[in-house]
Amino acid sequence: MSGSMDHSAGHSGNVLGMDGLEFVEYATANPEAFGTVLENIGFVLVARHRSRRVFLYRQGPMNIVVDADPDVIASSTLQPDDVALSALAFRVANARQAYQHLVGNGAWPIPSRAEAMELNIPGVHGVGDSILYLVDRCHDISFYDVDFDFEPGVDRNPPAMHGLEFHGVVQTADTRRTDVWFDFYGQLFGFVPATSNREDSYAAVMTSPCGKFAVELLELPEDFARDPHWDEAFTRLVFSTSDLAATVASLHSHGFVFDPRSTATAALTRSVRGGVQFGFVAQGSRR
Amino acid sequence: MIQSNFSLDPVSLPGSLQVKLQQVRAAGFDQIMLWGSDLANHPGGFNEAVSLVRSSRLRVTGMQLLRDYEGRSPARHRYKVDIAMETLKICKAVGAPMLVVTSSTEEPAPDAQSELHDLRKLANLGVPLNVRIGYKAVPWAHSVRTASDAWSVVADVGHENFHLVLDTLHMLMTGADLSPLEDVDPNRIALVQLADFSEAAMVTDPDRRAAANHSRVFPGDGGHSTRLTEMVRAIDRLGYRGDYSFLVMNDDYRQLPASVVTDHAKRSAGWLTNQVLRRALQPRLPPSAREA
Repeated sequence: MSGSMDHSAGHSGNVLGMDGLEFVEYATANPEAFGTVLENIGFVLVARHRSRRVFLYRQGPMNIVVDADPDVIASSTLQPDDVALSALAFRVANARQAYQHLVGNGAWPIPSRAEAMELNIPGVHGVGDSILYLVDRCHDISFYDVDFDFEPGVDRNPPAMHGLEFHGVVQTADTRRTDVWFDFYGQLFGFVPATSNREDSYAAVMTSPCGKFAVELLELPEDFARDPHWDEAFTRLVFSTSDLAATVASLHSHGFVFDPRSTATAALTRSVRGGVQFGFVAQGSRR
Repeated sequence: MIQSNFSLDPVSLPGSLQVKLQQVRAAGFDQIMLWGSDLANHPGGFNEAVSLVRSSRLRVTGMQLLRDYEGRSPARHRYKVDIAMETLKICKAVGAPMLVVTSSTEEPAPDAQSELHDLRKLANLGVPLNVRIGYKAVPWAHSVRTASDAWSVVADVGHENFHLVLDTLHMLMTGADLSPLEDVDPNRIALVQLADFSEAAMVTDPDRRAAANHSRVFPGDGGHSTRLTEMVRAIDRLGYRGDYSFLVMNDDYRQLPASVVTDHAKRSAGWLTNQVLRRALQPRLPPSAREA
């Protein structure tokens, strides 16, 4: 090939200036029921979208957006009771530059859904039907202030229960696709493989270039290859907590059932509503 | 190598998409390659074509074909990326797990990004759609002309969604030495395309291109059976256990009933399987040579 070729495959450093998860978005046709689940985890409904059926839940540093917009639901494969982890919003240094970098390197752009007087949040396609949004605060304007009406009298910054923070997400991958996703997240976003003490050989973990959250890949075992019921998707949101035992006890009291494989450092709920699961890890534990 | 490893590329066959699907199935193949043109030209429209494929009970081996993609000027690159994205969407629609991309035959534009950048971009585009990129050298390409060249590019691209496609006809045309194959990771081979050609030596690019596009024959029917057998045995010895697709563009076959062509394909699959299973023995002469 020509002498113009470069040899810069591999992980790209924190090229986007990534700095944590700005928000996590779920899509559901039944936002009230799922809202109750979030409230049981300590989230508070703080705002509603100005033009669409979208709700903002918050606790501590975490924002969760619940999208029940009829147009979004109609264009998805969601069943009435389904809840899907539909988007992650990466906080980046400059959203527009990040978007141009990603699209220039092979990410799929998504069309804007912003209406008049709303901020356009650029985004690219992620796994399955998901979207990876890019959010910055370059101009000291929060898109929450522009796009949302806050609930009257609500504490806009409710404290986190047991120091809960976003720890990461779990994503399923088809057989022999873990390494493919490693290169996708690594070459486009700068994620790096994390060392793991997991005994589960099907799981592999990548850490964001800012070190603030992880994507854990759960690969479909060879025996189940071509299982029509297995889709690649974000399947689970994982929180870190300063007191895992207290968090689990609190959730127990709200009717959450935990997987028996849960340990002293990591706990996993059974499916809660619409197939949603949550994971919890003790802060400081390697998982 | 077993029967279910073999796929038939419908470019060999006359007729409509529906006829091609039926004939491939009737000949006992479990899988088929697809061309965008077969879908686009279907009289009932694209969506009906997708439904036909989905209901055919044939596994789609992959999709042909993206040409002259890498190393283009910015405006041309945008055009080629548009074509690539639309083709990847077709792959997803019909359940094709791989898109074949051939090495560029054009000189790189002076204001192009690096070819590796362009190819990595393609690898990333395929990931969310669950479509692998299979990269193949063509002997008349600008610089990536041999399987060994293509393997170097796959290694340099360094993306797990970017794989190598081998074409026995091209390898027969470009050199007798199979030793470069020993460096290839069999897990990074996405597909082996099978064909032979006549005894005539092909030296110039136009001759090679014409032979590859118009006068391929099925393995066992051509002039290089011994070398082709050694080649497929070498690929098998590497540990490759993936798919083999008969890619036999032949002007004569397009004038014959599809069943005649699929009979050739079946006979060729049997002959080739026998050759590989007899890996410790001397290559057997093909049926046509034994009868002569």
